[in-house]
Amino acid sequence: MPAALPAAGLSVRVRVDLELCQGHALCREEAPEVFDVLERPGAYDQVKLLDEHPPEALRAKVEAAVRHCPNRVIRVEPAG
Amino acid sequence: MLSGAKPGSGHYEEFLAHPALLMLRAWRECGDFAEFDLGGMRNVLVVEPDGLEAVFRAPDEQLSAAEAYQYMVPIFGEGIQYGAPLALEREQVKMQATALRPERMKGYARIIAQEVEDFVAGWGAAGERDIHHEFKELVLHTSTHCLLGSEFRAKLSEEFGVLLHDLELAVSASSVVDAHGQEEVFARRDRARARLAGLVTAVIQERRRSQESHPDMLQVFMEVEYLDGRKLSDDEIVGMVIWIMFAGFHTSSNTATWTAVELARHPALAAPVAREIDTLYAGAGTLSFAALREIPLLERFVLEVMRLHPPLVTLMRRVKSDFQVGEQRIPAGHTIAISPYVTHRNPAWFAEPERFDPERPLPEHVFAYIPFGAGRRKCVGNAFAMLQVKAIFCALLRRYDFKGVDPPESYRDVMPSLILQVSEPCRLRYQRRA
Repeated sequence: MPAALPAAGLSVRVRVDLELCQGHALCREEAPEVFDVLERPGAYDQVKLLDEHPPEALRAKVEAAVRHCPNRVIRVEPAG
Repeated sequence: MLSGAKPGSGHYEEFLAHPALLMLRAWRECGDFAEFDLGGMRNVLVVEPDGLEAVFRAPDEQLSAAEAYQYMVPIFGEGIQYGAPLALEREQVKMQATALRPERMKGYARIIAQEVEDFVAGWGAAGERDIHHEFKELVLHTSTHCLLGSEFRAKLSEEFGVLLHDLELAVSASSVVDAHGQEEVFARRDRARARLAGLVTAVIQERRRSQESHPDMLQVFMEVEYLDGRKLSDDEIVGMVIWIMFAGFHTSSNTATWTAVELARHPALAAPVAREIDTLYAGAGTLSFAALREIPLLERFVLEVMRLHPPLVTLMRRVKSDFQVGEQRIPAGHTIAISPYVTHRNPAWFAEPERFDPERPLPEHVFAYIPFGAGRRKCVGNAFAMLQVKAIFCALLRRYDFKGVDPPESYRDVMPSLILQVSEPCRLRYQRRA
């Protein structure tokens, strides 16, 4: 399981590991406000982070994206 | 170097008998970077997750999968996957990923759900079955239906499963060392591949004639283009179909089989999973909807099954130029062996590793748990595989409890090929839930 997310109310920073992303696009299904997936000719599609510091209202969606990513490339850290 | 090497053949015979156990012994005796010798082929076993991360992130030009997996070329075909130049292979993997995109999953979920419901409809109130045999048949139904469409599925005969089996037998420990040696096994493999090619080509040609479009993977392969605008040739489509079929068939059916066995061996752990599925059905209504939802207890259960019984026993990379991992230097010409079976039994990451415990947390380190491999070459079918196994157990656990027929310890990991299986016969008893 991914690391425990920062407590509710604290602002967060989302990070993605592009080297391990295969563009499954499940993050976009969960949180289209935060993640898009770009077509890359000849290579895997790849996640594009739309909002590195998503608002608290999107927390549940971002957490779902973290859980659903088949490659576990999304990390949420306390903003610092 | 690991003890017990014989002159000339090294550890080859022991590897043939049980590759995973040889590698487990190597790691326990020598620690990380254990060396073993397969008839002159020098292997270094990487177990710890930091080393695995370095290996999985390394470029193909330095650590080559293609060179290590040449024995797959006669199965998938020249010009496909490791039989194609690297740039072309990348494009082909991308095409496989396209056929498995999440927006296509809802369609596959409907097909799988229908197949699973049809399959268990005749099981009655109670009975005893060889569950491995059953799941091979079921996964053949679901995967041919999703891959090759309803018209192929309707005509599916026993022959197709036999042909796949003939291909699987050629993916053995001995093929790793000698991709051309075993004449009889390879002659069967080549006949099976030729026959499969004939079956698939007939579907392709029929579709071209009818101009109908179908919601399956074959349709994607028929429409997709390379970067230069060229479409896949019929031969390449056949190769893509065999590749994805091969990647998904034994792996999913064996994982489903081990899941059923572990459910039967651990009734106290199975009960909450069955209750979770009851609750899910109460909300979702249909199987295809349910299988697409989060099913945390069932998912944790399957993840633990894949920890102890990962379907692929060994992943390999040929070292093209000296490779530095931490303090260790692995020379060019060596082969790096990765064994999920061994890595998943590392007590530093999994306390009491032999104990089946679906409640244990997944390690924080992404590379400590690698049932689908990792990095750029990670299995692109992992979401599809989970969907399939979830659908099977949603349908089964809603109806039945499972019990072992034979003593619990008689269900063992065996490796007649490089794909892990449950020992035969794999008999389970089932009874309609109260």
